[in-house]
Amino acid sequence: MHSTELLKGTLQTIILKILADHGKMYGYEITQRVKELSAGTILLTEGALYPTLHKMEAEGLLRTETEAIGKRIRKYYSLTPVGKNIVEDKVSEFIAFIKTMSTVLNVAIA
Amino acid sequence: MQLTADHIDYIIKDVHYRGIIVDGLKDEIIDHICSSVETEMQSGKRFIDAYHHVLKSFGHTGGLRELQTQTLQFENQKTKIMLKNYLLIAIRSLTKHRFYSFINVIGLATGIAACLIIVLFIQHELSYDRHFENAENIYRLNGEIKFGGNHYKLAVASAPLGSTLVQGFPEVESAVRFRSRGSYLVKRNETSDNIKENDIIWTDSTFFKIFSIPVLSGNASTALAEPNTIAISQSAAKKYFPDGNVLGQSLILDNRWNVKVTAVFEDMPRASHFHFDFLIALAGLSEAQQTNFMSNNFQTYVLLKPGADPKELQKKFPGYLDKFMGPQAAAVLGGDFSMEKFRAGGNIWEYTLMPLTDIHLHSDLTAELGPNGDITYVYLFSAIALFILGIACINFMNLSTARSANRAKEVGVRKVMGSLRSHLVRQFLLESILLSVASFIVAVGLAWMALPVFNSLSQKDLTLPLNNPLFYSILAGASVFIGVLAGLYPSFFLSAFKPVNVLKGNVALGMRSGWIRSSLVVFQFVISIFLVIATITVNRQLNYIQNKKIGFQKDQVLVVNDAYALGDNIQAFKNEVVKNNFIKSGSISGFIPVTGGWRNDNTFWPEGKEPNEETMVGLQNWSVDYDYVKTMGMKITDGRDFSDDFPSDSSAVILNQAALKFFHFEKDPLGQKISTFNDSNPDGSPDRNSLRSWTVIGVVEDFHFESLKQNISPLGLFLDNSTGTVIFRFEAANSQDVISAVEKTWKNLAPGQPFQYSFLDEDFARMYSTEQRLGKTFAVFASLAIIIACLGLFALTSFTAEQRTKEIGIRKVLGASVSSIVVLLSKEFGKLILIAFVLAAPIAWYAINWWLKGYTYKVEIGILVYAVAGLFAFAIAWITMSYQSIRAARNNPVTSLRSE
Repeated sequence: MHSTELLKGTLQTIILKILADHGKMYGYEITQRVKELSAGTILLTEGALYPTLHKMEAEGLLRTETEAIGKRIRKYYSLTPVGKNIVEDKVSEFIAFIKTMSTVLNVAIA
Repeated sequence: MQLTADHIDYIIKDVHYRGIIVDGLKDEIIDHICSSVETEMQSGKRFIDAYHHVLKSFGHTGGLRELQTQTLQFENQKTKIMLKNYLLIAIRSLTKHRFYSFINVIGLATGIAACLIIVLFIQHELSYDRHFENAENIYRLNGEIKFGGNHYKLAVASAPLGSTLVQGFPEVESAVRFRSRGSYLVKRNETSDNIKENDIIWTDSTFFKIFSIPVLSGNASTALAEPNTIAISQSAAKKYFPDGNVLGQSLILDNRWNVKVTAVFEDMPRASHFHFDFLIALAGLSEAQQTNFMSNNFQTYVLLKPGADPKELQKKFPGYLDKFMGPQAAAVLGGDFSMEKFRAGGNIWEYTLMPLTDIHLHSDLTAELGPNGDITYVYLFSAIALFILGIACINFMNLSTARSANRAKEVGVRKVMGSLRSHLVRQFLLESILLSVASFIVAVGLAWMALPVFNSLSQKDLTLPLNNPLFYSILAGASVFIGVLAGLYPSFFLSAFKPVNVLKGNVALGMRSGWIRSSLVVFQFVISIFLVIATITVNRQLNYIQNKKIGFQKDQVLVVNDAYALGDNIQAFKNEVVKNNFIKSGSISGFIPVTGGWRNDNTFWPEGKEPNEETMVGLQNWSVDYDYVKTMGMKITDGRDFSDDFPSDSSAVILNQAALKFFHFEKDPLGQKISTFNDSNPDGSPDRNSLRSWTVIGVVEDFHFESLKQNISPLGLFLDNSTGTVIFRFEAANSQDVISAVEKTWKNLAPGQPFQYSFLDEDFARMYSTEQRLGKTFAVFASLAIIIACLGLFALTSFTAEQRTKEIGIRKVLGASVSSIVVLLSKEFGKLILIAFVLAAPIAWYAINWWLKGYTYKVEIGILVYAVAGLFAFAIAWITMSYQSIRAARNNPVTSLRSE
């Protein structure tokens, strides 16, 4: 389990990348997907996920569509063109960050 | 496994119960919980256990609420939201008070439009001659000559001066001269008709080197090197050679002289102090080759090396030039003349450098290449622009603060609800910026519509730079700036209200509190009254000039221009026309006392005296015929007119009264003689041995032949040929008949030559066209200022009336009459206008005296003008107010008192 402190700054990048790879997804699906990819080491808390999703929507990075499943209403998130444009930047920015950190901490990344 | 509908209902209710209510989020959370619960139940958990486990992962009620709060905060973090709210409130409040908003926008827009046009005008005036590549290094040689009572300030220099300076100073790279010899009749070949061309001048081959006018065809450096060559503008080329074959073709000037076209240049830009369509090579003019320093006929421009200091250079001029000018002057004047002694006697003969870019606005010398602008008007219009903008902004502020009374409660409630002062300031500032931006948009439209009118008034060709992004960014910047400026005071004023006082109703409402507002209204009317007085004065002075006794009778005189085209037929033409019974008399002379007439200045001295700087008088000598004085309607005050009964009149002169003073002939003018040099040496300097004298036979009353700004200078009439114009005094109700009769005769005697005529009174009026334009422009802007000020007053009165509806109702119930209420409402502003008048009058008096100082002959501005202006302002203001006041006063008190 990674600490939530570490995750804080990367949440947006994770969401962007996952949505870029999978198209539209709903909140629960995203948490499950992250869990699966990280082999259970990253657990997105709902308390962090939803505010971030809404913020990104307000900033115009994501758009939503809703679908009614019986009594439940499911809200799907997908990238807007603006969002698509910044995915790559965000990811490479993060990789660069990791590289810098590895030199700062003087460790090699496998 | 799927949840049942009951399970889902349970979750929905529970989540709602726990306080998750935000649209969009609530459904999402429910879906999330459902999905999680389903997954957990797959491993065999009971629904309720699974649900509680999922809730735990959310952090129960606290966690859920925290999540909701965070979402809301994240969503609304952007200031955009708050701004949106300000905007919404602003638009609501503006539309709620449509009347005030409308007045605000219209007033400000009118002010800005006026300002915009004036700024365009000023920008155009300041841009003159800056388009030349070397503009910074080009200077004109200005001459100043002063001796005895004569003082000349010239835009011209002597023929050899330019090249002498190039030889003497390495800083002077090259020089170019212009020599104007008036208009020419131009035709392409013998068979075509003549066209009169005014924009035609002689110049050196260095012209294209110094002035970067692009040459479209031909070689710029050699184009004007040969005699009898000419360079023409693109539009002239189109006119004379529509087939496009221009170079090497010839043109015939004045019916007798063939010149070859060697270059075609791009039309000269409008913002130049000279515009020529034809440049004739000076190489062909013998006068240009002379080495005579004493006659100044050439507008001379020099190009200095980059970095050369004109001030330093100019200081070296006298030391260098005295070597050339001194001996020549001594040879003419004789005696022991030397430049040192000449200067020591307080006399001046010097040349200075004037920057090219200063000429348009700062030069008003004798022999300019064309009429120039005037820096005074630039200042004047800048001031007017600021005044109008000021008035418009004040309206804006006044209306906003006045409205504050209505908004005081709003401010109070907002503050009680927790609004900070900065929030309110932002709110009100945004409102005023919104109005200001709207005004700017309207203003650009207004300016666009008004520009053609202004262009015809000012004879300019201004356009809005609509495809210049800079224009828009300046406008945007200015609109925000004005919005902030105008909104600053109201917003701080409003936001400073104390909620307790406001909500109790204690805040001082209405007009009584607004001493700032009152002083602003006073300021507006000071400016308005000032402009009204100025307008009346300018127009009265103009009227005065045009109807003053000018020494000749300008009405009913027809002037036939370019009469030299008649050749030998000129006398026959005159005789033929005079036969018509509506022609009273006719005279042949190029010298007419309006701008455009010929001028000829020579020095004379009383016969028998030694010609020197004490005795010589610069005298206009005008060649006229026997009928000149009669036709012009001039008055002989002493002696007699020329007459063919006296054959000796060929050596007679009629002096004007001013000349008598200069010659010291006041006591006994008749029979006195004046002399001048009759011939000149080959180098162009006067020949000392050829004197000629004239006898004074009469004195003509002073008449104005230059603008009335100037004094009348000495002038003599001589009997001689001068074929520039033929003038006819006629007596007919219909001047069209006169024109057609004269034109018929012209066509007979000068076939193929253009018939150009004008009326003397029109030519005379044209001398004052600048002043006339000034007068009209002043009137337009003054009325704009008043309209805007009154617009504000209108809104303010209606506001007061509204404020005092109850008071008026009660007064009426208690028996007040309509008129007493009208007086009551108008009194307050009436007082302000009275104060404004008291302040404006002395300012106007001072300004008028300053302006009239430029005129030798000025109109008396009596108390009446001030009184009229004051009354006018008062009347306009009163009419404005009375509409609202009377409406308020006539209101049935029942309606105003019933409510509440």
